[in-house]
Amino acid sequence: MGTYAGCVRSMNRNGPSGFTEADGTIENSSNYERETKSSCQKYPYVSAIEENFAPFRFVYPEFLPDPNIKWRNRVREKLERMDMLKRRSNLDIPEFYVGSILSVTLSDRNAPGKTNTFVGICIQREGTAMRSIFTLRNIVDGHGVEIAYDLYNPTILNISCLRLEKRLDENLRYLRDAPAQYSTFPFDMVPELRSANVPVPVNPIKVKLNPRPWSAKWHLWDLKGVEDSSEQILEPWEMRRFDRWKFAEGFVTTKYDLMRAYRSTIPAEEQTEIYNEVHQQLANLFASLRKQKRKRTFLKPQKTV
Amino acid sequence: MTSSLLASALRHFQNGRSILLQNASVVGPMSNLGNFQSLNGNNTTFGGSVTFVQTRGSRVKTRLTHPRNTWPKRRRERNDQELTADNQAFLNKVVYDKYGPAHFDWRAENTGMPFISPLKQIIYERGEWEPRSIRTGVIGRKIGIHPMWDKDGNRMLTTLVQVTDNHVLKYIPPETVEKNYGPRFKRKDVGLLLVGAESTDPQRFTKEYLNVFDESGVPPKTKTARFMVTPNAKLQPGTPLYATHFKVGQRVEVFGHTVDHGFQGVMKRWGFKGMPASHGVTKSHRRGGNTGGGGEKARVWPGTKLPGHMGNRWRKLLGQHIIRINTKYNVLYIRGHAVMGEVGSFVTICDSFLSCAEEMDKSTLPFPTHYPEESEEPIPEEYYAPNIYNFADPSIVFEDKR
Repeated sequence: MGTYAGCVRSMNRNGPSGFTEADGTIENSSNYERETKSSCQKYPYVSAIEENFAPFRFVYPEFLPDPNIKWRNRVREKLERMDMLKRRSNLDIPEFYVGSILSVTLSDRNAPGKTNTFVGICIQREGTAMRSIFTLRNIVDGHGVEIAYDLYNPTILNISCLRLEKRLDENLRYLRDAPAQYSTFPFDMVPELRSANVPVPVNPIKVKLNPRPWSAKWHLWDLKGVEDSSEQILEPWEMRRFDRWKFAEGFVTTKYDLMRAYRSTIPAEEQTEIYNEVHQQLANLFASLRKQKRKRTFLKPQKTV
Repeated sequence: MTSSLLASALRHFQNGRSILLQNASVVGPMSNLGNFQSLNGNNTTFGGSVTFVQTRGSRVKTRLTHPRNTWPKRRRERNDQELTADNQAFLNKVVYDKYGPAHFDWRAENTGMPFISPLKQIIYERGEWEPRSIRTGVIGRKIGIHPMWDKDGNRMLTTLVQVTDNHVLKYIPPETVEKNYGPRFKRKDVGLLLVGAESTDPQRFTKEYLNVFDESGVPPKTKTARFMVTPNAKLQPGTPLYATHFKVGQRVEVFGHTVDHGFQGVMKRWGFKGMPASHGVTKSHRRGGNTGGGGEKARVWPGTKLPGHMGNRWRKLLGQHIIRINTKYNVLYIRGHAVMGEVGSFVTICDSFLSCAEEMDKSTLPFPTHYPEESEEPIPEEYYAPNIYNFADPSIVFEDKR
């Protein structure tokens, strides 16, 4: 063992579905000199992370601060977490991932009834702490509509997850260049409830994109949720050049870059420290807010797209 | 007070160049003394006419890169090989015993709260507030940016400034100020209050620098700043200053140095538009182009906008709102993301002198400062401005008035 898998793997918010192969061996990071309870423990501690707090970084990803050292400050992060917990005591923010279908109800001064509901598929989740944003996409009257919501916006009255699932990619911006059927969801969709013990399903769907032109060069991105049509798009010489370019730019060697992984993630010890601080309150909130929801039913089979 | 003059100056400024308010400095009659602003934390001397002048493009040197020859030498050259480990440990113990554990146990992550000075003898009696009194400011560290919402659902950004371990170091009465500093400070009736932030190890500093801190009985401080105060606002050396020195809803001045961008080209530094990337443009895509005309004065004029060092300048922000105060960690939430500097840089904050700031009754502000140990009721952990949404409150709902 000896792998700090908790720190290195799953750099995207989707968790293990987007598993990268950078499972390198990292020693106790030598420049981590803050006094933590765990500074002496090695192997037993890794298992503690994986057992207790491993799922937290997927369910509550915005509690982890931005890894950029220039912007890190412990006091501010503590204050942010306090504010986040206060807000969560008034609004039940469900677990959701990119690819889940959500329904959001906002207070809107200009809407009839003063509320505004939107249903859509979550195409991306960005930001940390109170600046955490999620974007929902749907097709309304033949037009694609994307709305970005602040997760901690006080005008949000309700967020409910209608279908909880993950996708193969970090963000689903390619749905803009996909046929409408992939982004259309009825506004009166019934929530699909699932029992707690079932792991979050990964939808392995491969979207077939519209013919070009696209809004971005999707064939150059390593998209797992898109039907691979690069042979039809690129000439053989373009493919060879693209392979060379990818290697030169470092796309191929990125998975071996441990320092890059370290810089772009929060170390496992710190994650545990953070979730240690908040997990009790989160558990209490989970219990109290879920009591208000209706009873669970069995998972109903749904028509696939 | 020259508030009416300020008001007229501000109106003139706002009509013409309201966007550039951040770049302006208050330049009074001592505009010829270029280094004045960079030395002083808060030059609040409004003796004569006041104009808001852009310092960009002028020849006033505003980037101070060397210490003054009048200042005592600060850092002591340490040669750790001179002492054995036992001797070093003994010295550490002496320091610890002299100043007490509270000084070195303060940490921003804990609370940032300073302890109360050991000076029991009252040197200065507390003054009473009068109109036109000027109280001290505080030194804080910018710790980051945080969004807040108001009760109508409008989002705004706030900059968090933590007031870390502030103590008053010295008070210099107006007569001594006039004698020592002479024509620099035109106002004859203000004294000088020296404030320090963040205690550090005295073994780093020279003896003569440590003498500065003898009067207050606190360890040497990482950062010091001067505030001009009226004599009735003078404070006992060693008095701690907290974030509750200010009130929520108040307007403040924030003075600090901006992010250092290094040597920058003309497009980033002065906002030039550059030239097209193609269509025959030869080697001049980000250059400045023409530098002047010909004729009698056929030369590049002083103050021409050219590439050069950008940033690391002392700038003052006027009229910033404080919308929230956290008393546990001594944090001020200042509206906007305009507070200058990187995360972790020092700023000094004091009351605003703008005429629009007079909507808040100055007599309600704690004078000369806030003494939390003397408050009868327990101090709440958070203060919010009236229209600001508190996250502990329920979600914002708009009422249907039909």
